[in-house]
Amino acid sequence: MSRLRISRRSIVAATLAAPAILGARARAAGTIQMVSHRYPALEHYAEKMRSAVPGATVNTQLMPIDKALELITIALSSKADTIDILYANDSNFQTFVKNGWLRPLDDLWAKYRDEFKLDDFPEATRKTYTHDGKLYVIPHTLNAMMFFYRKDMFDAASKAPPKTITEYRDLAKSFNSPMRSGSVNCLKPVDAAINEAHWYFNALGDGWFDKDWRPIFNGAKGVQAIEVMKEITRSAQQGYTAAANDECMIAYQQDAGVMGLQWATRAKAMDDPAKSRIVGKIDWVAPPQGHARIAGDGYAISAFSKQDPDTLFRIIATSSNQANMRGAASLIIPPRKSLIDDAELAKANRFYPAALASYETGMPVPALPEFYQVGDFITRRILQALTGEMPVKQALDTAANETTDFLKGHGYYK
Amino acid sequence: MLGTVLLFPLGYAVWLSLFNYDLGHGTFEFIGLGNYGALLVDSRFWETLTRTLMIVLAAVGLEFCLGLLVAYGLYRLTFGVRTLNLLMFLPSIVTPVVAALFLRWIFIGRWGLLSATLIGLGIFPPDFLGNPGWARATVVLADAWQFTPFMILVLYAGLNTVDQSQIEAAQIDGAGIWMLLFRIMLPSIRPLIVFVLAIRLMDAFRFFDTIYVLTSGGPGTATETITLYTYALAFRLLQVGKASALGVLTLLFVAALIAVMIRLVYRRERGAF
Repeated sequence: MSRLRISRRSIVAATLAAPAILGARARAAGTIQMVSHRYPALEHYAEKMRSAVPGATVNTQLMPIDKALELITIALSSKADTIDILYANDSNFQTFVKNGWLRPLDDLWAKYRDEFKLDDFPEATRKTYTHDGKLYVIPHTLNAMMFFYRKDMFDAASKAPPKTITEYRDLAKSFNSPMRSGSVNCLKPVDAAINEAHWYFNALGDGWFDKDWRPIFNGAKGVQAIEVMKEITRSAQQGYTAAANDECMIAYQQDAGVMGLQWATRAKAMDDPAKSRIVGKIDWVAPPQGHARIAGDGYAISAFSKQDPDTLFRIIATSSNQANMRGAASLIIPPRKSLIDDAELAKANRFYPAALASYETGMPVPALPEFYQVGDFITRRILQALTGEMPVKQALDTAANETTDFLKGHGYYK
Repeated sequence: MLGTVLLFPLGYAVWLSLFNYDLGHGTFEFIGLGNYGALLVDSRFWETLTRTLMIVLAAVGLEFCLGLLVAYGLYRLTFGVRTLNLLMFLPSIVTPVVAALFLRWIFIGRWGLLSATLIGLGIFPPDFLGNPGWARATVVLADAWQFTPFMILVLYAGLNTVDQSQIEAAQIDGAGIWMLLFRIMLPSIRPLIVFVLAIRLMDAFRFFDTIYVLTSGGPGTATETITLYTYALAFRLLQVGKASALGVLTLLFVAALIAVMIRLVYRRERGAF
């Protein structure tokens, strides 16, 4: 009989995992727990997961991305088995893998290659989720930030969509009014603010980091980029500093904003008559000067799950099989070749051309496992600059110093 | 029992604060007072501490002034005191997170109850949660809305304990209602005032749930208090050792603040509290 051992790690683990454990529904025996970010396409996939494998009960918990990542991080850092299937995107999966929190999927991928037609996923997409030669995530979406604009208003004013960010700034200013903001900005830390800052730093600046992961976003061009961003936010909607994608989507739908950067996954909702007052009035182009964020979402299996890996893989793979992905194709850019090339789908979804153009001109966030953690410093300092609490240069320098200190503490720059 | 509930968690936090314990990085090494040293040279620590002090002093000050005024009003009221007391205490019995959600729907820009009402009246309102100054004011108001009733209740109870003969004597000498309050009644309930302020100061320093729901510490770091910074260190950056050190520092700071307050109020009457 083994003795009960209470270690330091187990106490901290229990403390940190408490919210995850208590936040979940009572864990019925055999119930598979899935935690995910929430937007319409992921809601569709969650529904498919619930009925994917007969006899397997899947409890899906969907929430805003910051909450989902927090919950996942707390549970997995304490090696808790309270999450079996988890949301992962092209950026945060690196963090999870580096910490040993995900189960490699190569064996299961090979086993189920034919059954789920897994070769239909392009090699480039699979590579996105590969770390040290091992695959960790089954892709569910391709996503790109597009430039949303009110075509009806642009047409009435005889204006064309902006070709540069400074044109965007000027147009936002000219369209701005108290009841309808010229620009729709989503700058809630961390994820939403990263999305926008990424565009400015890459289109107008030199990017985030050099090849050794030293911050370069605080260089002269980076400072200039955030100065332009600051000018644009003068035409932004109320509450932009706390707005994430949901709030920005609603701002467009309720006719409270004219233009801005937003994910392709939000395009279809513009034409939903049950929710939108601007059906048919929004159009999309690739973001001016390119370099906006592209990303992909998918699902991974926790390394600490006690559930049968085959069942978990089948649940994830079933939700992203060709038929189910076709069902979500109006909400995302589907990552299966057969669907990307489907002319019928392209015709049925009027945002596809802009989404594909945005994907071609966009770029992912840096493949730094600690990117979301340093993003916490950077985005808060950027917001201090935008709200006038600190000069832009000082804010970016402070963020760069905090980032350097943090990464140094994590073994970088040796 | 006391050791399990109180001393063990405290001792454990102190012990963890002596280690570089990073769950995200998997490190656990003894660094002595390294976390304390790092925090004391961390500008974000000083910024959040200053901001916390400002928010706490503003909120508790507002609650005390409002609480005293209302309590005195109730004291002078000759009917309906019980009903009013009960109604005014309602915000205090609502769970802080739920109260914060109500308040968020009131203060949120453009769609919120307050903004929509003002827009309906032709006034374009400020961005209550998006502008740094307004966000801080909103957070203070939110705390005051929820905890002023507690002040009212305690101060009203205190005012009722003042010796009636003192009040009558002052009235015979021609004291007005304000002189009666400030010269007779308040000095009589000074221990109670220190008690209620100390309780609220300690409580307000732990101010977390309302700010987390209302602003998440933003915009930027405009409403980031020391507890929100502790939360960020522990649950976002996974630096458990540093977060523990910050918790210990906060405890020491609040204890020192209360000690100074008691000493100042009772500098002439040592041993009275």
